[in-house]
Amino acid sequence: MAVQLLILALFLLVVPVLAGSIFARTDRGSGSLLFRWVSGQFLLWMGFQLICVPLILRERSFGNVSALFLGYTAALALLASAAEIRRLARGASLPAWSLGRFFRGRQPVEAALWLLFWGLFLFQMVQAVRLAYADGDDAYYVAVSVLTEESGTMYQRIPYTGLTTGLDTRHSLAPFPLWISFLSRVSGMRTVSVAQVVLPLVLIAMAYAVFGLLGRRLFPEKGWKLPLFMLFVELGVIFGDYSIYTVENFMIARSRQGKAALGSIVLPFLFLVLLGLLKKLQEKEKIPPSMYLLLGAAAVSACLCSTLGALIVCMGVGIVGILGAVSYKRPGVLAPMALSCLPCVCYALLYLFLEG
Amino acid sequence: MWSEALNLFREYMGTGLLTVWFVLSLAYLWVREKDESVRILFVYMPVVVLLLYFNPLFAELVFRMAEEEIYYRILWLLPVTLVNAYTVLHIFGQAWGRQTAGGKKARLKKGFACGGAVLGMGAVLAVSGSYVYSNPNFVKAQNFYHVPDSVVHICDAIVVPGREVMAVFPLELVQYVRQYTPLVCMPYGREMMVERWNYDSDLCTAMEAEEVDMEELAALVRQEDCHFCILRADKVILGDPKDYGWILVDEIDGYVIYRDPARELTVPGRK
Repeated sequence: MAVQLLILALFLLVVPVLAGSIFARTDRGSGSLLFRWVSGQFLLWMGFQLICVPLILRERSFGNVSALFLGYTAALALLASAAEIRRLARGASLPAWSLGRFFRGRQPVEAALWLLFWGLFLFQMVQAVRLAYADGDDAYYVAVSVLTEESGTMYQRIPYTGLTTGLDTRHSLAPFPLWISFLSRVSGMRTVSVAQVVLPLVLIAMAYAVFGLLGRRLFPEKGWKLPLFMLFVELGVIFGDYSIYTVENFMIARSRQGKAALGSIVLPFLFLVLLGLLKKLQEKEKIPPSMYLLLGAAAVSACLCSTLGALIVCMGVGIVGILGAVSYKRPGVLAPMALSCLPCVCYALLYLFLEG
Repeated sequence: MWSEALNLFREYMGTGLLTVWFVLSLAYLWVREKDESVRILFVYMPVVVLLLYFNPLFAELVFRMAEEEIYYRILWLLPVTLVNAYTVLHIFGQAWGRQTAGGKKARLKKGFACGGAVLGMGAVLAVSGSYVYSNPNFVKAQNFYHVPDSVVHICDAIVVPGREVMAVFPLELVQYVRQYTPLVCMPYGREMMVERWNYDSDLCTAMEAEEVDMEELAALVRQEDCHFCILRADKVILGDPKDYGWILVDEIDGYVIYRDPARELTVPGRK
């Protein structure tokens, strides 16, 4: 079990942080560990989607997907490590985080607010392991992960029963459950445990990491505002069960499902990148190509999570892009933003073609 | 289309209180927020999203492309929690930043007042929502798989390494079985539990009947090529399963496992 958890930590924490160093100079604060972790995961998700969907449609085995994605992950990690070593040789320092440094020099009120935030965060982590949420959709999504890992076929059997069927094109364009199968295969942990116990811990933490990065962008000055903002966000999440459709309900109760990742991680991350882009437009700064790559990674990751993700991301990018171009009189920004949404358009067209 | 969109919006809002706070926050930020980038993301974008959501032409387009029941996910582009939290901070940031006449005592008084107001605002947001862990679907996990122990024990008892088995389960267990192991196949699964999908199965009807008619059940189980049949231990059975050739395998966690030997169950590699 310990070895399995260590392998999962490698694939869910260490590799994304390494991969995320590619974006270390994209924006203010993008060199932080949190930003590297989240952006690196988006790069990995993008790769998984781009590798997986064509192979599913060609009815290849999951072993092919697994091997290719493992190669992609290794290549990304090696490339990012080489780039990081070059940066270190030029005198840059490694990002680091320590509890002592986190609390050092903070006012008592600020420290107390952070303590309260971390206490509530820990409570949610404990609840994610201690409580099981009975959701009927797991009978599909988790069963797909389990079935794929065991049988090696992808979307060719009915997950509810195990009976053989034709290729399920509708769900196969958003193969988030297969990413769970991959994690199970490389770690050796039972797929149901990866989906129901390990992933909620990581994905809930990642959602808060994105909220934290957004908070840091909104309240860049040191002080009580950021921890108080995070506390209010936490309150919104913990008391967000006012309907079964809310992002907050999905985030806490159904975190292993792709649509939950779409609502609680991908869309907030999209807001973060869009906010960074708008700030750059406002300050008349040049927008680095890596920012558009991040937008593209978020867009492709949305497609991995849910077929409707393509439309939602295109809507978000389109609305903010047009508003930003008009407000700051920078129409030139629209073309690269549209280009970053191109994969979504391709997936949407593919969906319409296959379902048509 | 418009009425369906409206119904979904109503369901999405729940009690509607947090949506009221969200709309008030939008109005506040529209008037008081100076940073254009934040205005675009937290005010203009949500407004445009809402306009699109309620646009019948847009709704029809999405309804044609995707399932109607997932149209509500467009509303995920409304950053309700983020906007509410940001607005609270904006209000108190402004109040805190205002110059206070007087000395240390006055500042302390102001600090307490602001602290009290923040607590009050937090309480209002909490009361407006619903505590996620009070959701009745949350239950204490029985194991590291987050599926009921009974499913784990029954599947472990019937599974044959290296091959699949076909088993019919009571409805309350079907959604968990194939999450635990893909080696147990079922003639029907969770699709039977969703009324609007209109699935029908004679075997399911026979299994869930108040009194199980063995003659009917045995024929249907055989017809569906099931190796095993799992029945609730307290189920009233009309007839004796042994009379139909069934073998009692075990009784686990309130369920009885029967094996129908009519369907062969050879283990790969074993003669």
